[in-house]
Amino acid sequence: MLDYLLRRFSLLIFMLFALSAFTFGLNYLFPGDLLTNFSGQVNTSFSQSQMLEEKYRINDNVLVQYGAFLGRLIEGDWGVSLSSGQTVFSHVTLLLPATLELCFYALFMAVLIGIPAGIITSAYHKKWPDKVISTLTLLGFSIPVFWLALLLIMVFCLGFGWFPMSGRIGLLYEIPAVTNFMLLDIWLLGFPYGGQAFVDALHHLALPTIVLAMYPTTVLTRFTRDSMLNVLEQNYIKTARAKGLNRRQIILDHALRNALLPVIKQIGLQFSTLITLAMVTEVIFSWPGVGRWLIDSIYQRDYPAIQGGLLAVSMFVIFANMLADLTHSMLDPVSRNQSHGKV
Amino acid sequence: MVTAMTDLLTNPKRYITHLWLPAISLFVTACSDVKPVENASKTQGIVYCAEANPVSFNPQVTTTGSTIDIIANQLYNSLISIDPVTAEFKPELATQWHISEDGKKITFKLREGVEFHSTDYFTPTRTMNADDVIFSFSRLFDVYNPYHFVHDASYPYFQSVGMDQLIRKIVKVDNHTVRFELFSAESSLLSNIATDFAVILSEEYAMHRASQDQKHLFDNMPIGTGPYKYKNFLRDNLVRFHKHENYWKHDYAVDQLVYDITTNNTTRIAKMLTKECDITSHPSATQLEALSARKDIVVDKAVNLNVGYWAFNTEKPPFNNVLVRKALAHSIDFDKIMQAVFYGNGIAAKSILPPSSWAFSAQQMPVYDPEKAKAYLTEAGFPNGFEMTLWAMPVSRIYNPNARKMAELIQSDLRQIGIRTRIVEFEWNTFIERIGRHEHDSVLLGWAADTPDPDNFFSPLLSCTATFTGKNPANWCNPEFDLLLTQALDTNELSMRKKYYLQAQAMLIEEMPLVPIAHGVRFQARGANIEGAQLRPFGGVSLANVRKGEQ
Amino acid sequence: MAKFSLYSEESNRSPLSRLWRTFKANHLALVGLWMFIGLTLLAMTAPLLAPYGIDQQHSDALLLPPSWHDEGDVHFILGTDDLGRDVLSRLMNGATYTFGLSIIAALMTTIFGVVLGTLAGINRGFKSSILNHLLDITLAIPSLLLAIIIIAILGPGLLNTVWAIILALLPQHIHSVRNLVVEELNKDYVGAYRLDGASRVHILFRGIFPNIYEHIVVIFTLALSTAILDIAALGFLKLGAQPPTTEWGAMLAENLGLIYIAPWTVGLPGALLFLSVLATNLVGDGLRNALQARKAT
Repeated sequence: MLDYLLRRFSLLIFMLFALSAFTFGLNYLFPGDLLTNFSGQVNTSFSQSQMLEEKYRINDNVLVQYGAFLGRLIEGDWGVSLSSGQTVFSHVTLLLPATLELCFYALFMAVLIGIPAGIITSAYHKKWPDKVISTLTLLGFSIPVFWLALLLIMVFCLGFGWFPMSGRIGLLYEIPAVTNFMLLDIWLLGFPYGGQAFVDALHHLALPTIVLAMYPTTVLTRFTRDSMLNVLEQNYIKTARAKGLNRRQIILDHALRNALLPVIKQIGLQFSTLITLAMVTEVIFSWPGVGRWLIDSIYQRDYPAIQGGLLAVSMFVIFANMLADLTHSMLDPVSRNQSHGKV
Repeated sequence: MVTAMTDLLTNPKRYITHLWLPAISLFVTACSDVKPVENASKTQGIVYCAEANPVSFNPQVTTTGSTIDIIANQLYNSLISIDPVTAEFKPELATQWHISEDGKKITFKLREGVEFHSTDYFTPTRTMNADDVIFSFSRLFDVYNPYHFVHDASYPYFQSVGMDQLIRKIVKVDNHTVRFELFSAESSLLSNIATDFAVILSEEYAMHRASQDQKHLFDNMPIGTGPYKYKNFLRDNLVRFHKHENYWKHDYAVDQLVYDITTNNTTRIAKMLTKECDITSHPSATQLEALSARKDIVVDKAVNLNVGYWAFNTEKPPFNNVLVRKALAHSIDFDKIMQAVFYGNGIAAKSILPPSSWAFSAQQMPVYDPEKAKAYLTEAGFPNGFEMTLWAMPVSRIYNPNARKMAELIQSDLRQIGIRTRIVEFEWNTFIERIGRHEHDSVLLGWAADTPDPDNFFSPLLSCTATFTGKNPANWCNPEFDLLLTQALDTNELSMRKKYYLQAQAMLIEEMPLVPIAHGVRFQARGANIEGAQLRPFGGVSLANVRKGEQ
Repeated sequence: MAKFSLYSEESNRSPLSRLWRTFKANHLALVGLWMFIGLTLLAMTAPLLAPYGIDQQHSDALLLPPSWHDEGDVHFILGTDDLGRDVLSRLMNGATYTFGLSIIAALMTTIFGVVLGTLAGINRGFKSSILNHLLDITLAIPSLLLAIIIIAILGPGLLNTVWAIILALLPQHIHSVRNLVVEELNKDYVGAYRLDGASRVHILFRGIFPNIYEHIVVIFTLALSTAILDIAALGFLKLGAQPPTTEWGAMLAENLGLIYIAPWTVGLPGALLFLSVLATNLVGDGLRNALQARKAT
C-alpha cells in the first residue's frame, strides 16, 4: 500500500509540475506583452517596469523565469487582474467555493438518483423499467445543458415563479463571507433572518443543481447499468441463482458490491465534467463562480485572470481525480497492482 | 405551443393560484404569529438591476453614465442642482449664491449642519463646511492639492468642458461661505457646478486617508453627504448601500439599496418578471410588451436629452478623408435602424442636438443612397471599398438600446458598397478605456446630457481637449469648431449663443466626424409598489426618494 | 455458443451484414440513422436548398411568427427574426456549421486518434510510457475546458473552435484506440499470426484493424455527439462562431433577447441541436448494442 501511495504521490507532483509549466508557457502563447501577461500591470512608468522586470526575471533565461514563476505561485502571488485591478488570487479564493458548492450538490444528487436508477434498470433488464429509464437517460444525455437551463427558467422561473433565476441568495440578505460556501456560512452565522436566508439560498440552489446534475446522473445511470450487467453475467452469480436465491438477494448481497467498485472511480471522474458544465450553468444562472469569471476574462482578454482561473480549475480537477483513484484502490485491492503508464 | 408559452409567460398567476393558494393559506395560518417578526428581520430594501459595474465611487473621475447612475445622486450632493421641470437652479448644499457684476466672482453660502456618512471605515467629527467645498473643487485643477494626481489627474468631464482652466482660485470667506474667482466669465459654469460630477467630498476623510498613506482607497471607499452610504461592492455581482441615518434632507430613505449588476438585457427583464429586481434600468424595446402586459409592473417613459451616434476615428486613414466619412454616412438605411433597433421608441436625429434643446436647428441629414455613397468612395480613391472595424457598445443605454444589432444592420448596408466590416465588442468599462485610447476605426456610442445647456453636447464630446482626455470618440480636433464653442460660452446673450450653436451644428454635418443617428427615450421598469423613482430628462438616476409600498 | 446447425448458411454471412441485421431490429436506432442521414444531406446541400440567403434582411417583415400562426406569412415558413431574416434558411444553413463542422471535427479526431493510438499501442518502453503519462494528464481535463483554454490562446472564432475541439477530443480517443489495439495484440490469434512470421504491418492491417473498425465507428459517434455539444456550447458562450454566422448555439445566444416576443427564434435552434445529438447517440447506442449482441452469439 505504501509503495502504491508513493507512486501516486510522485505522479501527482509530476502532474502539478507539468501543469505549472503549461501555465507558464501560456504567458508566451498569449498575445500581448510578456510582462503584462505575467503581472497584469499596464502603462507602467519606467522605474516601475524596471522593478517588475527585476521581480519577474524577464531578462534572465527561461528556466530562471520559470523558477521565479513557481515561487510566486506557491506564495499566492498570481498577478493582478487587468480588468478589476485586484489580485487574481483574491478573485479565485472568493469565487472557487461558489463553484465547488454547486458541483458538490449536483454530484450528490447525481449519485443519489443515478446509481439506484442504474441498479433498477439492470435488475429489470429488457423489461419496462429498463426501457423507460434508458430512454430517459438517452434524452438527458443528448440535451445541451444551456438549452435545458433555458427551458427550466422559462417554465419554473418565468412561468410558475417558483424559483429565482440568478445568484446564490436574495441580495437583500446580507451574509458576511466566512468560508464562501453559502449554506455553511449561513449555518455558521446561526441562521440569520429567522432562517429565511437559508430557505432562500436553497431556493436559489435548486435549478442550477438540477441542470448541472442532469449529465452526470445519466452517465452514472448508464455506467452502473453496464457494470451491473457485466457482474450479473459472471459465474458466481449464476451459481447463486442456481442455488435458488431471489433477484433481490442476488443483487443486494452479491452483485452490488462488485458492480459499484468501478462506479466509485467514475464518480470521481465526473468532477472534471461537472466543472466544465458548471461554467455554462454559471453564465446562465448568473452564479458568481469561477467559471463565469473565467469566461468573462476570455471576453476581456484578461490574461493574468485566464491563467489563474485555469490553474485553479485544473488543479482542482487533478486533486479530485487523485482522490477518486485513492478511494477506489482502498476499496479494490486488485487495482493497486496496476502500475501507472504501463501497457 | 407558442401561444401557450406566451400565455404562460404573461399570465403565470393564473397557473399557480389555484395550485398553490390552499397550500399557502395553510402555511400562513400555521405561522401567522411568527411572520411579522420575520418580516421585520428581512430588511426593507430595494434591488435595482443595473447594467454595468461602477468604475469608481467618485463621480469626478468618470463620465461613464452607468457609473454615474449608480453613485452620483445616491452617495453625494452637489452645491446646486437643476430642476428637471423648470430648468432653474435649485439650492442643495449651497443655500444661496450670488454672481458679481462682471461674472467673474461667484459666492456660495453653504448649508449648515450637513452630516457626512459615518461608516465602519470612517467616523466624521464635524459637519460639512467651506474646507470640504474647496477641497472638492481644488482637486480638479490645483496641482498642490494632495489628491490631484491620484488616478493620473484625470477628471474627464471638467477637463473637457475646460473648467480646470477657468477657475483662478477658491476663497474661504468664512466657515460657511466660499467664493469662486474666475479668469473669465462663462455662461455654462453654474450648470456645470450643478452636474452630477461636481460633488462635495469630505476633506476630513481625505486627510485621514492621506495620513494612513491610503490615498488610493479614497475614491473606492467613498464618504459623502447623500441619502445612502457605501457598504460593499462585489464585482460583477452587487453594490450595497445602506441608509444614511443623518441625511440632511429627509429621513425616509429605504434601509438598503442594492444594485444587482446584470449586464445582459434579457436577464434583467427576466429578473424583473421573477421579482428579483424592484427597478430595472433600460429595458429594451423588444421586451416592453412582455413587461407592460403585467399588472404588477409599471414601465415609465420620459423624454431625455441624448444622442446616439456613429463616430469615425478621424485621425486614422482613410477616415481622415471627409469624402470617406460622407460615403459611409450615405450608405446607411436609417429608417430600418429606427424600426429594428428602436421599435419606434426614438426620434431620428436631425442634428446632434435633440429637438427639445433650445439651440436645436434641423440640418440637411445624409439620406440612404448607395449610389451616391459609391460615388463619394470612388472620388476618395476607394472604388473597391476597404476593410474596417465597427465597435459596438456592449450595454444598452438610452441613446442606443442594442448597438450589436445596429452594427449588424450597418454591416450589411456597408457590404452593398463594398466595405467589409468586423464588429468588435468588449466588456463596457474596457470598451470605454480602449475607445479612449482611440484603438477603433469607427464606433457606435452616444451621449446623454448632464445639464440642459447645449454646450454639454459639444465641449465634452467634440472639443480638442476632449480629444486629449480620450472622451472624443471621433478623435476630432478642429480649431474653428472650438472657436465657435468658446464664442458661444463667452456671451450671456441667448440669441448670440444660439447663432454660434447653429453654425456649430451645420459644421458637424458638413465635416461629419460623427453621424448622429437617433435620440432615445428613457425607459425604466419598476414594480407597481415602488414609488418615487422619477426619471429625469438629463443627468443620472436619483433614488433618494424611492419607497416600497405594500404588494 | 453457436448452435450446431447442418445448414450453416446464416452464420456464414459477413460480420458486417450480421451487424446490420441486429442493428435493423432496433427501431429507435433505425430512426436515429434516418435522422442522421437527413441531417448529413442537409448539411451538404443547405446553401442550395435554403429559400433565402442567411443575411438577406426583409425590412418589411420583421419578427413574423411561423406560417401556421394567424399573423404568419407563407413565404417565411418558420417566421423571421428581428432583422427580418428568414429563420428557416438560417436554421438550414446552421446544419452546415453545427452538424457539418462537427462531422469534420469528429472525422479528423478519429483519423488522428487511430494513427496515434495505434502507434501508442504497438510501441513499448520509454517512449510509450511518456506518451501515456502525457495522455493521463490531458485526460484529466475535460474537452470543453481544454477547448476553452485553446480558444483563450487562439482567440474566439469558428475555425479556432473546430481546431480546439479536435485537439481537445484527441487524447481520449488516442487512449481508447490504444486500449483496443493492446487488447487485440494480447489475443492468441495475433500470437499465432506472429509465429507464422507476419510482419508488424501485416499484423496491424490484416489482423487488428478488421477486428476493431466497428469499435472505431462507435468511437466516432461519441466524438461526434461531444463535438456538436461543444461547438454549440462555445457558440452559445460567444467564444465560438460569431454572429451573423448561423451556428445553432450562436443563433440561440443571439436571439435570447427575443425570447419574450419571438420564442420560436430561441426554441428552434435548441430543438435542432437536441435532435442532432439524439440522432447521433441513437446510432451510437444501436451500434454498440449490435456489436455486443454479435459478440454474445
